[in-house]
Amino acid sequence: MGEVLVERCPEESLADLERHWASAQTFAYIHEKSAAAAPWLRGIPEQLPPSYRADHFCLLTSGTTGAPKLVIGCKQNSEELARVLHRAQDSEPVRETIVSLPLTYCYAFVNQWLWSRVMHRKLVLTPGFAKPELFRHALRRANDAMLCLVGPQVALLRNMFGGERFPGVIRLHFAGGRFPQEQLPALRELFPNAAIFNNYGCAEALPRLTLRRSEDGDLASDIGCPLPGVQLKSGEAGELLFLSQYRCVAQLDSHGFRPIAPDEWIPNGDLVREGSDGHWHLLGRAGEVFKRYGEKIALPQVLSTVNGQWHGQVGCYREKDGAGEDGYVLVLSPQPTSENLRGLLQAFRSSHPRSHWPLRIECAAVLPLHPNGKVDSLAVQSMGNRSQLWRQRI
Amino acid sequence: MTNTEKLKDLVVDVFLIDPKEFRVDLKREEIETWDSLGVVSLAVGVQETFGHHFTQDEAMGIAGVRDIIKILEARGISFDE
Repeated sequence: MGEVLVERCPEESLADLERHWASAQTFAYIHEKSAAAAPWLRGIPEQLPPSYRADHFCLLTSGTTGAPKLVIGCKQNSEELARVLHRAQDSEPVRETIVSLPLTYCYAFVNQWLWSRVMHRKLVLTPGFAKPELFRHALRRANDAMLCLVGPQVALLRNMFGGERFPGVIRLHFAGGRFPQEQLPALRELFPNAAIFNNYGCAEALPRLTLRRSEDGDLASDIGCPLPGVQLKSGEAGELLFLSQYRCVAQLDSHGFRPIAPDEWIPNGDLVREGSDGHWHLLGRAGEVFKRYGEKIALPQVLSTVNGQWHGQVGCYREKDGAGEDGYVLVLSPQPTSENLRGLLQAFRSSHPRSHWPLRIECAAVLPLHPNGKVDSLAVQSMGNRSQLWRQRI
Repeated sequence: MTNTEKLKDLVVDVFLIDPKEFRVDLKREEIETWDSLGVVSLAVGVQETFGHHFTQDEAMGIAGVRDIIKILEARGISFDE
């Protein structure tokens, strides 16, 4: 295997990334924060079997468990997926793609960097919301551009760029968590010429499984139909299993190397159901559906209610109440007004039984984010400076 | 803050009603969120706010806000404000 390429800022590593992809040698591309958190990565070369030391690449994912895992993909398969995405997403009119996420994130890596390479489109690197003025500048100069975001970035978009219009963005893609269905009107104001897509997938899929245009469904849970070359099914417990021509071919974590057989159905931890229209619906993560006082709670459904009322950032973590029953705590950022809070509580009252209500609602000035922009739920739980806004006395 | 105001805040907070919905003669059946878990939550709130722990019989017998006031007045907590 070649070397571990560390992404400090995308501009710095872009030339190296191109060189590594063009080379026959397998390489790993890892964000500097992740590299520091996973010292076992230093042992990668010895742990990969010889047949994986050429024509492959490795990306790191932490998933929702927080345990780092290296997914190993075949370069040729991922290039083919980039072409499949190009056709499925109607990307032919797109001239450039604006990057606001780390390129080590498989979504940005395949949907943007690799797509731009394979389809000969311009890659516009930005620091994203780390330097909003530079990001805004790129959006203002967008020229028939594709923008790939994750849901939590919508709150930042609205807060920082609200009232502006970016007509040069003609494709807007969301992945990496819940699709911001409730915020589509605001997104259409910001990006009046953009077709908006829900791109569902996971790191193991490297990275896409399904696609839905925003107008082809009304629910955030609707992830659309499988891409060509992808099959989905739900297991006995409702868990999503997938077969894909483009998925990772092996995984490596602190426990060692594990190849994935070509006919192996891979679970990704999400719970799903297939609708009568052929669209698949997310019901939550295996760990996000639990029972409280005998009532089944799917956190994504609860968060759908929250997102209908609250346009800031949202985090949540699990906690037991005084009676030992499972529950959860909602964390908002920035601090809501008393009217915002009252509206949110009224929404809970009208849409959910008491057992679905959070144990507490807290707020923080800033929520900790993963490098890919998603809220880091584990870090939210351990962070200080949270204020309690409301609690169930139970 | 008067005891009536404290009780109003508590009932609003526990049952997520609009402050405008609160009345002293508000009945349990008028509030769909006044369920069994709500009774537990109300009991905890009354203890925290007024220092009185409902007995099981008291908790089960509460049919509305006026009953809460009666129980608390019997413990010397005045609502004549």
